[in-house]
Amino acid sequence: MSLELTLNGQRVAFLSPPDTPLLWALRDEMKLVGTKFGCGAGLCGACTIMVDGEQTRACQTSLADAAGKTVTTIEGISGNAASAVTDAWVRAAVPQCGYCQPGFIMAATSIIAAKPGQSRDDVLSQITNICRCGTYDAIRVAVGLALDSLKAAASAPPKARAER
Amino acid sequence: MTSTSARGMKIARRTFLVAAGVVGGGVLIGAGTVAVRLQALDGYRLPAADGETSFGAWLKLARDGRFEVVVPNEEMGQGIYSLAILLAAEGLGVGPEAGRAVPAPIHARFANPVVILDGLPFDPRADSAGKRAVIWTFEKILRAVGLQVTGGSSSTRNIAEPIRSCAMSARDMLVRAAAQRLGVSAATLWTEGGRVVAPDGKSATYGELADAAGQIEPRDVVLPPLGPGVYVGKGIQRPDCGPKARGLARYGIDTREPGQLYAAIRHAPRIGGALAHATIKAGLPGVRGIVEGSDYVAVVAGTFEAARSGLETADIAWDDSKALRLSSRDVLSAYRAALDKGTGYAPRWIIDSAGNTAGAAGRKVVATYQVPFLAHATMEPVNATALVTNATCKVWAGHQSGSLVRMIAASAANVPSDAVEVVTPYLGGGFGRRADVGYVAKAVEIARHFKGVPVQTIWTREEDLRDDVYRPAAMADVTATLDAAGLPTSLIYRVAVPSVTDQFIARVFPFAKGGLLADRTTVDGAIYPLYAVPNRSIENFTVDLGVPIGFWRSVGYSINAFFFESFIDELAAAAGVTPIAYRSQLLHAFGGSAASRRAQVLLDRLARFDADHPLAPGDTNVKVGRGIALTECFHSFVGHLADVEISGRDIRVRRVFAAVDCGFAIDPPNVVAQTRSAINFGLSAALFGRLDIEDGRVVQKNFDTYPVITLDTAPDILVDIVNSGADIGGVGEIGTPGIAPAVGNAIYAATGTRLRALPFGLSGA
Repeated sequence: MSLELTLNGQRVAFLSPPDTPLLWALRDEMKLVGTKFGCGAGLCGACTIMVDGEQTRACQTSLADAAGKTVTTIEGISGNAASAVTDAWVRAAVPQCGYCQPGFIMAATSIIAAKPGQSRDDVLSQITNICRCGTYDAIRVAVGLALDSLKAAASAPPKARAER
Repeated sequence: MTSTSARGMKIARRTFLVAAGVVGGGVLIGAGTVAVRLQALDGYRLPAADGETSFGAWLKLARDGRFEVVVPNEEMGQGIYSLAILLAAEGLGVGPEAGRAVPAPIHARFANPVVILDGLPFDPRADSAGKRAVIWTFEKILRAVGLQVTGGSSSTRNIAEPIRSCAMSARDMLVRAAAQRLGVSAATLWTEGGRVVAPDGKSATYGELADAAGQIEPRDVVLPPLGPGVYVGKGIQRPDCGPKARGLARYGIDTREPGQLYAAIRHAPRIGGALAHATIKAGLPGVRGIVEGSDYVAVVAGTFEAARSGLETADIAWDDSKALRLSSRDVLSAYRAALDKGTGYAPRWIIDSAGNTAGAAGRKVVATYQVPFLAHATMEPVNATALVTNATCKVWAGHQSGSLVRMIAASAANVPSDAVEVVTPYLGGGFGRRADVGYVAKAVEIARHFKGVPVQTIWTREEDLRDDVYRPAAMADVTATLDAAGLPTSLIYRVAVPSVTDQFIARVFPFAKGGLLADRTTVDGAIYPLYAVPNRSIENFTVDLGVPIGFWRSVGYSINAFFFESFIDELAAAAGVTPIAYRSQLLHAFGGSAASRRAQVLLDRLARFDADHPLAPGDTNVKVGRGIALTECFHSFVGHLADVEISGRDIRVRRVFAAVDCGFAIDPPNVVAQTRSAINFGLSAALFGRLDIEDGRVVQKNFDTYPVITLDTAPDILVDIVNSGADIGGVGEIGTPGIAPAVGNAIYAATGTRLRALPFGLSGA
């Protein structure tokens, strides 16, 4: 018996038992190890993924919960918000040990993609992840950079946008 | 001391051969042995693959012109890979994008003596022939023993000069190779963007020259003092940021080998408890077996989830006959008793004793401080993957010491240590936790039951908190006598704390008994205070009730800086002088040493910030306060200023300003990043951190009961770098010690309430 869902744009069937947390099904069965294990209790956000676009703790979501839905992991994000966020994270040199950062990037991407016009503080207030390296100052900078670059792209003349 | 030894390596080695028989003779191992071994290590060259040329121990060049620098320290977020690339690029005269950093082989050539030398019980400012001789001898012996370790904010101090030296020497060889090839004098050539260029415009790339340059005898190069360069003093884009932001960076827990199994581990619920027996029902889906360890049980399965749910169903009996039954309050009571017994209970170590005999005239200020046990809670929970065969062992694990991993894995797999291969991915946080490599031994023990199959053992967060080696709880009584002007005429600092070093040594070398030397680690931050307090006594009471303790970001400094810098603030209040002015007076009394001058510069920066950014009054029912602290650790100095807001019992740290003097900031953006990181780490401890033990059990299980700072609670942190030009100091931990006292002092400023225990908590509104 298998459960099907759309994973990073592709229809895939999982063989793990339906009550398996999506986190471990992704990491062990699909070998998608960019989604991290941090607490197993939905507290730290290291396992943040998107389910139907919404930031979701993969350790608190069973395979059965995700069946038939669209799941995106750090390996599969794409689009304007995703590239703006990822680029901003690199420009602001956010990662230190880096272990929690895919979770932060998934959270920020999902929040910004849902409503690109939000203020930096609005975005930040919806990110409840934990970083033990304490990269929060840089994360604040990166979220600001990502919003700025999206705003600049949106207000660029149509021709310039077409060239991109 | 380290920079001197590294800078003068060539000379020192020659001198050493002559002097070894005199000074080093027979201290621990024969001086002759040390000398021969060091000479052999000196000749070590990195093995080069086809198409590569080795330029000694640190650097390789490929024919495509790309360079590879090896780093003996693990990358755990501190940016040491980036720093190695930066220094190699500067020395070679090429862009950093042409290079990459890789883990150094586990080899004695890459020993880190710095971290151990820092722990020797010497005043960092005292200079004597005796001290120099002991440090010099120890350094040689430590290099010969060859322990590779990452910690103690030592990475840059350990590798910066050898990498600079190797890169500059390689550039010199490339230029001479080009001179031969182009038939011109080397003196007329210069380097530019990975090429050697001649005045007539002819040039050759480093890649073209690499083979020939590798044949040229290296010459001594004169290292200019570290100062601003193309990349030095500016920084480079960290090469690991991209892979880390894209989810491509691999950590130990991401190891995925063909046929790999997963183990879920559970430890005895009480510290010191043992496993009596454990069984598991046959036929559980995916489950491959159960492993009974000394103090743990592990279930091995095809996936971690199968292992974890299998473990849930296991029938486990624990043996508590040797388990700890104590609670945190018993530990504090034992500290209290040791301090109360006073001279009747001999302290382990007394530094000075003038305070005990000083005349008692004058006003007394007396205070008792305490801090709890703390966990590391690295974001990547502890884990290791091992593949054991009859003759070999391979380990994939984030760790802070390849040497120790290899030693402990060899022992657990019962193979010789040269049959152990260690693969070191990125660390999902270290903070000292991964210097204690017992988790590798357990992973190997478990994998031994599945010969030929890689087994990854993962500690859940609950197990990670339960099986940690904690930052010790500690307590101190501090007493000062003040003269009429409010300045201290004596100070007695008595601290009760178990010895981290003793426990660490006992875990690594069960045959070795600790206590050979006083444990400087747990009195760091108190024994060599910045201030000239006359008639001082420092007494270190070692009280160990068996709770496992270990190294933790800044260790003793995180304890004693809180006690000491809070107390200095209490003295300032008693004297009726502002915290800044009082510290300035104390620094002045020190008599104008280099250390006091460095500290005064930072104090001046705090004073300027204070004047430029007056504390805004709080809203109705909100009290605001500003506090400072001044600390010295790992040969660097930091001044902290913290602004707090208090409403009811809620304490919020709004803004932190830190002035940092690490001698010279080679990679300034990273100094800023590390300082912020260390401050937030210290803030988690100051505001929330407590690891409680109740009847031998660890109370906190996860981040709900062991909260850490988040985006919501983390302050804005401004960092001001002061390049004093002093020898390079550590960076990774130096922001931690001063933040708790700065916040405590700010709380006092806001409320008039002096909080002497961590984590901070206000009772009543």
